[in-house]
Amino acid sequence: MLQHIIDSSHLFRPETALTATFCVVLLVDLFLRKRTSMPAYVAVLGLVVTGWFIAAQYGGAPATLFSNMLAVDPFSIFFKSLTLASTLVIVLFSLQSNELRDSKRMMGEYYALLVSLTLGMFLMAGATNLIMMYLSIELTSMSSYILSAFTKEADDSSEASLKYVIFGAVSSGLMLYGMSILYGLTGSLDIYGINRALIAGNVNNVTLLISVVLMTAGFGYKISAVPFHFWTPDVYEGAPLPVTAFLSVASKAAGFAMMMRFFKVTFIDAAVGGSYLGSWISVPGFEWNHLLAILAVLSMTIGNLIAVWQTNLKRLLAYSSIAHAGYLLLGVVVLSNEGYAAVLIYLAVYFFMNLGAFFAVMMVANKIGSEHIDDYKGLGYRSPLLGVCFTILLLSLTGIPPTAGFVGKLYLFSALLNAKWIWLAVVAALNSVISLYYYLRILRNMFLTQPDPAGAPIRFGAVQIVILLMFVIPTILLGVYFGPLVQYAQASITMFTNR
Amino acid sequence: MSLFDIAFYFFALITVASAALVVFSRNIIYSAFALLFTFFGVAGLYALLGADFVAVAQLLIYVGGILVLLLFGVMLTTKLVSVDMKTGTLQALPATLLFAAVAGALSGVYIITDWNVLAGAPDAATTAVTIGDMFLTTWLLPFEIASVVLLVALVGAAMIARRDARSKPTQQAAL
Repeated sequence: MLQHIIDSSHLFRPETALTATFCVVLLVDLFLRKRTSMPAYVAVLGLVVTGWFIAAQYGGAPATLFSNMLAVDPFSIFFKSLTLASTLVIVLFSLQSNELRDSKRMMGEYYALLVSLTLGMFLMAGATNLIMMYLSIELTSMSSYILSAFTKEADDSSEASLKYVIFGAVSSGLMLYGMSILYGLTGSLDIYGINRALIAGNVNNVTLLISVVLMTAGFGYKISAVPFHFWTPDVYEGAPLPVTAFLSVASKAAGFAMMMRFFKVTFIDAAVGGSYLGSWISVPGFEWNHLLAILAVLSMTIGNLIAVWQTNLKRLLAYSSIAHAGYLLLGVVVLSNEGYAAVLIYLAVYFFMNLGAFFAVMMVANKIGSEHIDDYKGLGYRSPLLGVCFTILLLSLTGIPPTAGFVGKLYLFSALLNAKWIWLAVVAALNSVISLYYYLRILRNMFLTQPDPAGAPIRFGAVQIVILLMFVIPTILLGVYFGPLVQYAQASITMFTNR
Repeated sequence: MSLFDIAFYFFALITVASAALVVFSRNIIYSAFALLFTFFGVAGLYALLGADFVAVAQLLIYVGGILVLLLFGVMLTTKLVSVDMKTGTLQALPATLLFAAVAGALSGVYIITDWNVLAGAPDAATTAVTIGDMFLTTWLLPFEIASVVLLVALVGAAMIARRDARSKPTQQAAL
């Protein structure tokens, strides 16, 4: 046992580095109060060290750590890399944000909590035990509650955080209930053990369904899928913009990572199927993917339809992120390696386009102090560069070629069609058309309405423009040259199996 | 009805009745005191199930620690004691329907399901030794991560509760 723990701790280095960073950032803030940017630099240093440890894990054989608590495999390494990249970007965002600069006094805690949030997401990506899944969700949620209340002087920030806490408590309670039923049915907390018990049969399918519905409440809350989405618009609107951007990308990705691993390992009879295009067979008598198909249709449709009426850009992006959760769920529904690879491709693409869109909104909010769509009138003339960049990002979110968003949608749709889910593909395509309407509304305001009489040209700092281009250039590049990304995603769907 | 059953229903009754009082009482002091009995009842249920360590921890931490702090907090916050809490009911019909559906489904599930019962309860004199061993071997990672979760919660609580020196005077008055 001791040897196992020592071996495990070698593969646990990225998480250990994050935990250490969390503590060091707090201490640095305590002893070097005067230097307010110091915690950010320490956090970046810790994240880089973490990245180095993750890079060392590439190419290793899949393994589980600490008695099947956590898996280290290409799948979890993919999500860890994605989360880490988002955290680094968000630290950059935060250094540029006027909103946060006004509450300089607490920046130490801010960066420490960003790091603990990252740790929670790392654990979510690898958790293979119900207890570990619950704890990692709690770590992630707890950090996000506090971060969204960070500018607590603003009324909507406290309100957002309170709503977040209440919805979070309810859904994690439901999830725990579902887990306890699943444990009662199978006598195992380890998802590999649950899988063995389910394949052996003798499990009441009605009870299993109820337990999975309850657990889906927890997953649905993390990825903000309808009907567990009610917190999303308020939290996105109230939280500081860098935090919103982080939640919309990394939190969603981590939720998907945990959900995909849980569903694939637990409910797939892996003895059947296998090759890249081959589909999987779920455990006898339990077609859970129909449940997720309903969730996907609801998320896409409701997210897009409500987004049409939004006038605040943060709320609009919140509903658009709900709709994107719906698209992403399509890849889980199809029960194939192809579908899972499509989800990974879409998430990687979503990383660039959504973070870029949020950064553009933040740049504008820094200058004109508003996120209202009417204040974007004539923005394309006041700052042509920002206008063009924002246009590219919005077109990519819609899924129009030659942007990266198109590639993401292409792979999702082809996975759907290959699995003969025609009606679902039609619904998704119709939804893309709806989304075109509200993304184009922003473009119309930026370019087709005359600039305000008082609208002087807006100039942005060179650093901000470079950061914005860091998102825009990959968005175009991945739209025309996506071979390496696709190969990387296809190689990353390998999960640790225990048979 | 065996002695075990009688003891079980006794503790279950205490737990449920006092929990109802916590929710329905209009006076927050009554709620806090009723919570004492809820925690006590739950500790009794743990003890009945052979989880002696958890039962003792429940008594020491929840009844002895958290609840006393809670009572102090309530009593020191003068405004809370006198204030009548809002206990109105909104959306009574949908709530009743949802409640009936969920309660029906869950009770149904408990009756029809053939639960996976572990053969025989552990007959060790005390579970504390086993729990200690398990925390440092099989369940090492959850044990350590739980402490990180608690640290994050502490940092967050301190951050949210701290009165900001530079915040506006009007808000200070409101607090």
